[in-house]
Amino acid sequence: MNLNLALSDETLLSIEKPERYIGGEVNCVMKDKEKVDIRFAFCFPDVYEIGMSHLGIQILYGMFNSYEDVWCERVYSPWMDMDAVMRSQDIPLFALESQDKVKDFDFLGFTLQYEMCYTNILQILDLSKIPFKTKDRTWDDPIVIGGGPCTYNPEPIADFFDIFYIGEGETRYRELFDLYKKLKDSGISRSEFLHQVAKIPGMYVPSLYDVKYKEDGTILSMEPIFDDLPKTIYKEMCLDLSKEFYPTKPVVPYIKVTQDRVVLEIMRGCIRGCRFCQAGQLYKPLREKDIEYLKKIAIESLKNTGYEEISLSSLSSSDYSKLPELLDFLIDKCNEKKINISLPSLRIDAFSLDVMSKVQDVKKSSLTFAPEAGTQRMRDVINKGLTEEDILRGSEQAFLGGWNKVKLYFMLGLPGETDEDILGIGDIANKIAALYFETVPKEKRNGRTIDIVASTSFFVPKPFTPFQWARMNTKEEFLDKANKTRKGIMAQLNQKHIKYNWHEADASMMEGIFARGDRKLCDVILKAYEKGCIFDAWSEFFEFGKWMETFEECGIDPFFYTTRERKDDEIFPWDILNCGVTKEFLLREWHTAQKGLPSTNCRKGCLGCGAASYGVGVCKEEKIVE
Amino acid sequence: MNKLRLKFSKNGPIKFIGHLDLMRYFQKAIRRADIDIKYSEGFSPHQVLSFAQPLSVGATSDGEYLDMTVNSMTSTQDIMDRLNSVMNEGVEIRAIKELSEGEDKAMTLSVAARYSLRLRDSADFDDWTYKLEKYLANDKLPAMKKTKSGEKEIDMKQMIFNYSFDHENRKVEMLLSMSSKETLKPALIFEYFYKSVDREFDTKFLDIHRIDIYRSGSDSSGNYIEPFITSDTNERIYING
Repeated sequence: MNLNLALSDETLLSIEKPERYIGGEVNCVMKDKEKVDIRFAFCFPDVYEIGMSHLGIQILYGMFNSYEDVWCERVYSPWMDMDAVMRSQDIPLFALESQDKVKDFDFLGFTLQYEMCYTNILQILDLSKIPFKTKDRTWDDPIVIGGGPCTYNPEPIADFFDIFYIGEGETRYRELFDLYKKLKDSGISRSEFLHQVAKIPGMYVPSLYDVKYKEDGTILSMEPIFDDLPKTIYKEMCLDLSKEFYPTKPVVPYIKVTQDRVVLEIMRGCIRGCRFCQAGQLYKPLREKDIEYLKKIAIESLKNTGYEEISLSSLSSSDYSKLPELLDFLIDKCNEKKINISLPSLRIDAFSLDVMSKVQDVKKSSLTFAPEAGTQRMRDVINKGLTEEDILRGSEQAFLGGWNKVKLYFMLGLPGETDEDILGIGDIANKIAALYFETVPKEKRNGRTIDIVASTSFFVPKPFTPFQWARMNTKEEFLDKANKTRKGIMAQLNQKHIKYNWHEADASMMEGIFARGDRKLCDVILKAYEKGCIFDAWSEFFEFGKWMETFEECGIDPFFYTTRERKDDEIFPWDILNCGVTKEFLLREWHTAQKGLPSTNCRKGCLGCGAASYGVGVCKEEKIVE
Repeated sequence: MNKLRLKFSKNGPIKFIGHLDLMRYFQKAIRRADIDIKYSEGFSPHQVLSFAQPLSVGATSDGEYLDMTVNSMTSTQDIMDRLNSVMNEGVEIRAIKELSEGEDKAMTLSVAARYSLRLRDSADFDDWTYKLEKYLANDKLPAMKKTKSGEKEIDMKQMIFNYSFDHENRKVEMLLSMSSKETLKPALIFEYFYKSVDREFDTKFLDIHRIDIYRSGSDSSGNYIEPFITSDTNERIYING
């Protein structure tokens, strides 16, 4: 633990949760800074408790620190109280481990997990005293690099980054570090260095690409400014996850954080192809990890952290082919050591209910279904392969097993949505409630009753999905639909057993602007930050009015990015990137959706998305013929 | 089954870890050290740990106590070594004592705590030790103490066992009441001392170090108090009544 903290005792005693700023947690890595060549500050631009819950940083933190010549440290957004102290006392932002200034690092890396963190990136740069824009930086500043899902359309924040790393982080950082070591003191300019970086696969250096627009504001072309640069940047991907680094000594926070447990990533990618889902496309193809490798990692991680809980992580755990064997092993080991197992994203069926009854208190836990839409017609449009029959059959089994709490997740504003689809949400919730009363006779209810929570979020079209061409609803449409949903539920016979929650529409609109935004938004984001916008992902700090005011001052129409349905041949800001699936495939899926037809999943048949070119994972499995 | 009392220190930046987080820290450390600790019954069993007295955030200590029960062990030394091998810098197990079956929890038995106190430079108060010494010499030190049901008047003087000043290094050591019945926090003394010299006190000024926690006992010479784990009878302080 570093005994010399960047902040005084008095400062730490005057702010909330000083543990956020002192570092020194179990398994945090300390090195001698004189003995490393590269110092990497890795930032999750949100508060500590959120950032510490992120698996990606733990993976790369562990991997970088396994390199003898690199010391990777962590940085999170100072919370509002700390932010105010740092500004008023002119305290530069520091990394947790060494407590040294971020400005003195070789690299400042950001993981970009959601669009609403963009102003927090500027906060980090600002407090670190690093110029906001790549063009204003010198060798005195760290190289600013971004990774994570938002880099699949990095254009709204292109001006603020020197490099975007496209794809999975395990593959190319070593190459980048070696190039940096070779060139940093060779006398070349920083921009010449970035030029060399842009030749490494997966590295997108936005300042080296020139964007031209048409008169209507859409993109005419995006071209590299040097002939020796690639015209398309392909995502980086691990071909064999069981051979990659995985952290078995993750940093264990002192304070309770959102994800406070060992996280065992069992696979990457998803076979399902839901048309609204970005992750489902970005991480294709599905690649499972070897079960023996997972068992070893689970045991080591629990031993090294002392955590009392382990969670499986993936986009759809039920699709892991050896799930029963893995769970048997974990239940066995964990019972012995009094460790809890948490099981997110399992499809509700006889198998999962049996497992859940072993690891959870049935009376307290709830069943979760994500039908996403209220009618089968709409679920076919979005290609969500969950039928009403699946939900009712699963619920019935669960009710017989003692469960009585059900959570349902839906989206509003999906392409082609009608009132019937919206009212279907209340119908399905009511059917589940009625089924409970039918299945569990009064004398077996023990004073308990059915308890349903239906939640809706507003659909935001994302890049690299079949719905990237779709029109997004306005705030007014969203609120009208939420109202209809509420009324639809209220009209049900069992309405008093159904609770309804909906998301805020303002935040969804902002997310929609950034998700499919272009470079013109860089100035809007900078200006909004200068006007005080920060922690936009937090409803208590998000100021929609200030954002709209900024759009107006910058002369930019926010609806250009949201409510406009794109033509089939429009060039998107993210077309310069390739995530493994082709635009032709996505367009085909968009047209199939418009016809109201579902598509098969990767285990049953190949849709020719393009990911087969990697030659790994589910693409190599034999198809299941039904 | 063995009931154990652990004495540990909490120094350095880890002093900013709050009481509940320290408890969680110990639960994880005990698992990392693979101690065969006893768990509670029920659907979600948890380790039963009992701390003598919470230490306020920002305070350091060389004498904190924690009671736990193990199902099996080879020796207290082995438990100490295993725990210390997984501890973070700043927390160290200093001693472990095996308790007799019927012994009360440390929380119930504690009667006093010894502190070393100083004011941080930000207090900007050079001759405070002389002034505090004078203040403490009063026959009575009345103060209002916040309780669950409101406020009550107390005489702090009755709750101070002894004190000694180190004027040169600007420090004071104090032995103060700390039990389930009555507890005197160092900050309360400073709050009223500040009032007596017409100054505004801020808890951030006070740098608190707990030296040890005491329990009561009696022998042929009378009633005494002494640190929870000690082999030195010279540390006993005999008290009246």
